[in-house]
Amino acid sequence: MNIAEEAKGETKHVFKRCTFQQLIAKQPNKKRAWKSLKQIISAERSLPWPEDYVHYSSINAPPSFRPPEKFSDLSGLPAPYTDPQTRLRFANKDEYAMIIGLPMDITAGYLALRGATSLVG
Amino acid sequence: MELLEFKDWKSVPDIVHCYKSQLSISETPIIIDNGSYQARVGWAISDAPLLSFRNLVAKLRRERSKKDGSQESIVPQLQVANDISNIEAVRFQLKTQFDRNVVTHFEAQELLLDYSFFHLGINTDGNVAHPVIMTEAFLNPNSSRQIMTELLFECYGVPGIMYGVDSLFSFFHLNTRPTNHGLIVGLGYHTVHVIPVVNGKTIFENVRRINIGGSHIISFLHRILQLKYPAHNNAITLSRAEELLHSLCLVALDYKEELKKWSDNEYYKKNIKRIQLPFSSSISSGLTEQQKERKRELARRLAEINARKREERLAEDEEKLQQLLFIQQMIKANKDSSEIEMSMLEYGIKNLDDLHKNIVTLNSRIEKAKEKIFAVNTSDDVLEEPPLKQPKFHKMSFENETAKLLFVQKIKKTKQEILNKKSARKQRRQDMAKRRTAAGQERMRIISQLARKEKGNDDFGYRDEDWDIYKAISREGGDSDSDAENEKLMELDEILREYQPTDVDQGIPGESYQLHVGIERYRAPELLFKPYMIGSSEAGLSEVIAYVLSLFDNETQSLLAENVVLVGSLANLPGLMERIKIDLISVRPFKSNLQVHCIGNPDVASWLAMKNFVQQTEYKDFLTTREEYEEYGSEFFKTHAASNFYIPTPKSQVVEIIDS
Repeated sequence: MNIAEEAKGETKHVFKRCTFQQLIAKQPNKKRAWKSLKQIISAERSLPWPEDYVHYSSINAPPSFRPPEKFSDLSGLPAPYTDPQTRLRFANKDEYAMIIGLPMDITAGYLALRGATSLVG
Repeated sequence: MELLEFKDWKSVPDIVHCYKSQLSISETPIIIDNGSYQARVGWAISDAPLLSFRNLVAKLRRERSKKDGSQESIVPQLQVANDISNIEAVRFQLKTQFDRNVVTHFEAQELLLDYSFFHLGINTDGNVAHPVIMTEAFLNPNSSRQIMTELLFECYGVPGIMYGVDSLFSFFHLNTRPTNHGLIVGLGYHTVHVIPVVNGKTIFENVRRINIGGSHIISFLHRILQLKYPAHNNAITLSRAEELLHSLCLVALDYKEELKKWSDNEYYKKNIKRIQLPFSSSISSGLTEQQKERKRELARRLAEINARKREERLAEDEEKLQQLLFIQQMIKANKDSSEIEMSMLEYGIKNLDDLHKNIVTLNSRIEKAKEKIFAVNTSDDVLEEPPLKQPKFHKMSFENETAKLLFVQKIKKTKQEILNKKSARKQRRQDMAKRRTAAGQERMRIISQLARKEKGNDDFGYRDEDWDIYKAISREGGDSDSDAENEKLMELDEILREYQPTDVDQGIPGESYQLHVGIERYRAPELLFKPYMIGSSEAGLSEVIAYVLSLFDNETQSLLAENVVLVGSLANLPGLMERIKIDLISVRPFKSNLQVHCIGNPDVASWLAMKNFVQQTEYKDFLTTREEYEEYGSEFFKTHAASNFYIPTPKSQVVEIIDS
């Protein structure tokens, strides 16, 4: 606590009336936990707003209506094939030869990047 | 071939600007473009923002500075914005006030406001006597704005605040072609907004936001390069990926067509960008100088200990010799026999012969020890290095070049044979593991045949060859990769290196430290149009634009399509404007009018727009003053064309208990 006070003392600016901490803290030692955006949104949604009110969360983009194209995980080229073992997509036999030799963490990294880590789909 | 290098820009600490008296007298507003990537801060009368910094705070751990207490003052525990000289060094301690594009963490926001006001040079006591014009997220939740207002009024004592949305500011106050209709595409660091404006009014309910922005492109690029070059995992940093996005990335006009071009090997070779990572060319020879020094020191200390022990033992022996000699003299002098026997017993000596023997051995031992000490002292500092490892084979001499060539070829052939065997075995193992392959099915057939019980004619095992069948069905296929084989392979490699050094490790130093960036240049920005590339289910930019247009009637649609405006730093990406235009043409009616353009310099557009707003209009009408803050509460703010709307947060359903 002492160190924190010293550190704050150093950076005290003349134009400031008080720190925010002093302003909001009911107990001086307790730190305020800030709500994440998710929490703020769900708190906002639970309130009885007027009918036509537009929320932060109500302007999310619609889901895509076009079927996603398949691209090779390695090169980004259009990928007609999928390796059943690693579930990576690949464009040609050279890439397949590479996939065979890839260690687990790399293949998992590629899948995670594509957001395809769930077992189904 | 041209070789690019990373520049690794370092941020330069900001100077504290001079606070002129006329600024304080005229209450010049402070304009803050508070973006989730960068903040730009400046006076409303200057031509450009004075400060421009990443909205980041690095909180270094206290433990580290505690450990070496003397250095505590050298490394500040808190680094704000441009004070962060090396962003990668503190990557894990970085904090921002933003969660997506909304300010949620106000402790960090406070630090950054401190930083801004301090570097503007404000030195008035107890307050910042300037109205603050600040940007906020589109549809910023009331609670977030409320805390910001409290922070500004209570801690800094500002006289007034005005909020607005950055992309709306740009549209309304920097547009060289002022129109009442338009479709704004706000390209941000975390989000992309598509905002329709009709008759000078934002149509809030038809705005759509894609939760993908510059930061996603950067981390996507970062990750694909890391996965492509796992060896340089640490050298490929987020800042470098960001640099790549700024310097190399561009948007493909037709992504599929672009991919087709890149799949051609010739095109790939011609258009690939090579980027050199920093590397050190010196090949360390096992031990460094420091390690050698430490080893020498250790050896010296061991030698000293040995010498000391030897000397102690020598002294001991000499003493004992003296005693024994004394006894001998006593015997010679025919002294009292009982006394002699006592002292002889003390040294464990039975008779005269024993005594003589002891004296002789002691003498020789002392002699040897002395010799050794002498030898060590003369060759004191010459500590031998252990002899270098002898190679396992001796260099052969060949009669001529052809003989050598033949020998090398033979070695190579042996090596290839081993490698072939290995790969065949690997293939076999893989085939065996799968059920559908021929090898796997053959194995299953044999197993089922073996398991079949036939009474009477079971003659399995009469011949020795019968047992070979178990070798055939084992997954290893009878033999496995042996250590002997691996050893042999290494030995062959060594021999090859000896006789044909160029064959094994070839090439320019640092070539393995090059990143080849090809399709990635197009692939990363394509994320804006194909969010499914990182597993998001949201529609891409072009699709959302088409969707937003479809929410209007035909007449309004064409009004909007005639004025599509790009704002935000990402609009700097080459090809983005053309791409959006092409995609729009495909969804608009044939030959309909269509315009896509960019406003000013996307980097500072919204700041300049805010400045214009302050200079041109009666901005004071839109300021939320201190009195209003105290009167209407911290949620209240005044709206204008470029701001969000204001609807007070409804009270949550409180069950009122009425006393009757």
